[in-house]
Amino acid sequence: MRHTDEGVLRRLVDEPAGVPDADRTHVAGCPTCLRVLDDARADAQRVGAALGGPGAVDTDAAWARFSAAGSPAVAAGRPARAAARSRWGAAVRRPAVAALGAVVLVTGAGVAAANDWLPIFQTERVDPVEITSTDLVQVPDLSAYGDVEITQQPDPEQVPDAATAAERTGLEVPEVAELPEGVTGEPAYQVAGVVGATFTFSADKAAQAAAAEGEVLPPPPPGIDGSTLRFEAGPGVAAVWSQPTGVPTLVVARVGAPQVFSSGVPFEAVRDHLLSLPGLPDGLADQLRDLSTDAATLPLPVPAELVTSSTADVDGSEATVLTSRNGLFAGVVWVEDGVMTGVAGSLSADELLSVARGLG
Amino acid sequence: MPAAATRGAVRPDLEQVFRREYPRVVGVAARVLGSRDEAEDVAQEVFLSFGRSSVPAAEAGGWLSVAAAHTALNLIRSGRRRTSREETVAATADAVTPDVADTVLTLEDRSRVRAALARLPRKQATALVLRHSGLSYAEVATALDLSPGSVGTTVRRAESALREELNRHASHG
Repeated sequence: MRHTDEGVLRRLVDEPAGVPDADRTHVAGCPTCLRVLDDARADAQRVGAALGGPGAVDTDAAWARFSAAGSPAVAAGRPARAAARSRWGAAVRRPAVAALGAVVLVTGAGVAAANDWLPIFQTERVDPVEITSTDLVQVPDLSAYGDVEITQQPDPEQVPDAATAAERTGLEVPEVAELPEGVTGEPAYQVAGVVGATFTFSADKAAQAAAAEGEVLPPPPPGIDGSTLRFEAGPGVAAVWSQPTGVPTLVVARVGAPQVFSSGVPFEAVRDHLLSLPGLPDGLADQLRDLSTDAATLPLPVPAELVTSSTADVDGSEATVLTSRNGLFAGVVWVEDGVMTGVAGSLSADELLSVARGLG
Repeated sequence: MPAAATRGAVRPDLEQVFRREYPRVVGVAARVLGSRDEAEDVAQEVFLSFGRSSVPAAEAGGWLSVAAAHTALNLIRSGRRRTSREETVAATADAVTPDVADTVLTLEDRSRVRAALARLPRKQATALVLRHSGLSYAEVATALDLSPGSVGTTVRRAESALREELNRHASHG
């Protein structure tokens, strides 16, 4: 009989019951195979010792941390608690992951940012706005001030290739010149159409919401009550490289940058009114006011505890670079000619910038 | 792409799976990173992805372990980690070892093994870490889409490569 395969000998070290009888019988009487088996066992022990282990793990504490971290998944499972903390914040989208930004440009982070904040507006650049988890629960949602209606659903879907994605969206599908180390294979292409929504101010509704919080609403400027804003973003396309497990390692997304149209109220009036409403933390209102002088900068809410932001140049455009403080994820996002492009993934900011600068 | 399909929705089985799988997921990441703190960070991220995924509950264990291994390997490969932490934790963990020489050797071995792990083919490194974290050969085969017969070969190759790395340094030192 031929000598037993090394892989089978390796299994004999851990799971002898999983090895066929014929192999075990052979090994027992074969000095060559016994020697190889001894080597395999010694290597396994040595490598096992060098790899070590975690020691004692406190699962209760870990679950408490997980649930408390503002995880969107967990928070969504506890609407009652969120509502109890603040009616004003109940409908706010949690940006903990969303603010990593470009990952979900197509699925809604960019949309969330514009939808919640700045009206009458054509995105020309993106700037991070630092927001703490305390701010978040205080942040009012637009639906507290009027009626929000989704007029056009983006209907996201997966398409087989870049050509189909380009055809569906009319966007130039970004091509990555050189994939970073560790990212392999073909991407999956997701596309989404234009998302549209309207918002109609209601002085009554806003006053009720304010009263529920024990606040007095500042008087709305003339013309605001009953006026409508129309919001539009998209279409979008994303190329997603994933591990075999489905966890994305690199996402390159492009989306028609958000725009807001007004039925007649000037941008400044809407902005000043929104920023003066009770419930908005002062620090956040100041950041938004500074940022919104030109009606062209999209504020991207960034959870300050989790993410740091900086800027970098991508082919002449100023890009916002977001890096999670634990170093696991990063994202780069910029706007050019009304199109917002983002690159994100479980890679370093440098690797992502190099992808961003090499996009075809 | 099951992982990101249902953003915002929460899996009803999330807490149950978390409590059942968390120690092993930390174990996988800790073997790659050599730091329990960092491993717990990785585990939190991995469960966050899992919470938004539609991975069937029966496949959760393998999915989580593989995701933890990949995320941790990406982290060491990118060199973005806090190595000082590794030393602190490893030294604490080894404090129970009576022999000082053993302690030093293990500490050095550990950092070498991790550097070598990052250079291994991804599948070898993952199979090795999963196996040493207590997954059975059948579980490793399913999780990595390997034939059951090739798990032993893959793990053995990884161990040979790491042993050579350790010996190379031992003979120089």
